[in-house]
Amino acid sequence: MRGLPTYLLASLVLAGLVYAHGFNSYWMHVTIIAMFYAILAASWTLLSGYAGLYSLGHMAFASIGAYTSALLIQWTGMPTILGMASGVVFCTVVGAWIGWVCLRMTGPYLAIFTLAFSEIVRIVFSTEDEVTQGMAGLHTVFLFHTDSRIPYFYTAIGLLVFSLAVMGFIVHSRWGLFLRSIREEEQAAAASGVRVAYFRILVFAVASGFAALAGVFYGHYLGILTPSLGSLDLMIIVVVMAVIGGMERIPTAVGGAIGIEFLQEYLRAYGEWRLVIFGLVLLFTMRFARNGLLTPLWLQFVRLGEVRRPVSAAAQAAAAAGEVGPQGSGGS
Amino acid sequence: MTDPSRPAIIRGVQIRKHFGGIAATDGVDFDVLEGDLVGLIGPNGSGKTTLINILTGHLAAESGDVFLRDRRMTARPPHEFAAHGVGRTFQLTQLFGRMTVLENMLVPGLTRPHSTWASATEQARRHLAFLNLEHLSGLEAKNLSGGQQKLLELGRALMLDPAVLFLDEPFAGVHPKLREELIKRILQLHESGRTFVVVDHDMESILRIAGRLVVMARGRKIADGPPAAVREDQTVLAAYSGF
Repeated sequence: MRGLPTYLLASLVLAGLVYAHGFNSYWMHVTIIAMFYAILAASWTLLSGYAGLYSLGHMAFASIGAYTSALLIQWTGMPTILGMASGVVFCTVVGAWIGWVCLRMTGPYLAIFTLAFSEIVRIVFSTEDEVTQGMAGLHTVFLFHTDSRIPYFYTAIGLLVFSLAVMGFIVHSRWGLFLRSIREEEQAAAASGVRVAYFRILVFAVASGFAALAGVFYGHYLGILTPSLGSLDLMIIVVVMAVIGGMERIPTAVGGAIGIEFLQEYLRAYGEWRLVIFGLVLLFTMRFARNGLLTPLWLQFVRLGEVRRPVSAAAQAAAAAGEVGPQGSGGS
Repeated sequence: MTDPSRPAIIRGVQIRKHFGGIAATDGVDFDVLEGDLVGLIGPNGSGKTTLINILTGHLAAESGDVFLRDRRMTARPPHEFAAHGVGRTFQLTQLFGRMTVLENMLVPGLTRPHSTWASATEQARRHLAFLNLEHLSGLEAKNLSGGQQKLLELGRALMLDPAVLFLDEPFAGVHPKLREELIKRILQLHESGRTFVVVDHDMESILRIAGRLVVMARGRKIADGPPAAVREDQTVLAAYSGF
């Protein structure tokens, strides 16, 4: 049966929507936060896993988006949705600008640059307390005027599905192929006709826009914003989620985010020791499963329902011909 | 060396580039005519790779100009050269290692205007069959042998349907059997009308295929002409020992 994995995932989302009323408030909150992290991990994966641009400034965009929305609404009285959209658009533009500034940077240089940017943003939001209320926290307008978490739960699912649909479309289009070629060999990608600068700026803009989307939702869900939203601690959590799940595929990064968030709650009784457990899981992943713990499971999952055709004798012979001989014989 | 009956596809005029005070190219004029198969040779450090990096947009010259069929392309980015039909391979093979052989081919194929996945895939399969790599199309490129990687890099450049192809040391480190394969494919492509510039140290291979030989030494072009004449050139013999 073709498309079985899609049907299974759609059924899971549908079941979540239908039975949402049965969840208790605490676990619904955990699920909403898990979806917030899932959008962040997916967009960080688009930037780092697909394009090879290892940014440590992703949470800064979530923070900028959230503060932009909250402050615009406070200052102008604009509708919440418009404020949220403004935050996302503003961050997309800032992301494109950062992408342009970092055009010649890769690897550790890019990571350090984006980390410095992130710290500058966090310190500005902490210090400018006349505007942002600093560490005391900026009170934001709630997205829904209700005590129930259900509207937020539905909204979080909607935003996650929307984010995954857009990012999924990108990575499965020719743009996704170009991003991966940039990750592999920037010079060869350029020689192949790929507009490297354009795509690097584009992916920074898109990933920053989605980080902001997660951030604005978070701000108007919790009703309070602090500069710690853009902290290195949260950035590390997002990276750990994506790496443990599998940072070269968006679904595995999303699985990592949801899995780690739930595990954090289950292990809450262990206090700081749970962070040690996550550290050990990360070490295990880097040593034994660099593509992420969920990648092998995901690869099995997407093959569900596929009809396996027997390999023809001609194909086997052709493959064998390529495997023997002086070159490609496995001698080196 | 010019031939009025054949237009120049690419032309470098007074190309000058220094690295740390050393002249990599020192006012080099270089043109490639339609249908040429140019062998570009010279001792290590003579400026061959620097010259083709400048002629393909991968390096900006300090002075001088690059023209692509009379269009000034000086300091334009490499993707613009590719879009105007300049293909190239690299001295150290540069493949998209964790992408499959087919995906490697699709990248340039899908940068072409009006290309579709179906047309690019069909074109890629055709080139892979020509290079005898079709049976490896699902394999990650990093798993190919050295010679197969050189062939794939050539195939990837062919996906641009290039007017001129620069091959930087295509025979380096390749097993003699696959080198023969590579030479055969280059000659077939040349006979079908493709224009090549081949940089290599393998004199035997270069002399077998080149219709024109350009020799560089210390950043300057010291000879340009038919291989037989260049081989007898006293300046070349003095600068380039070994033949």
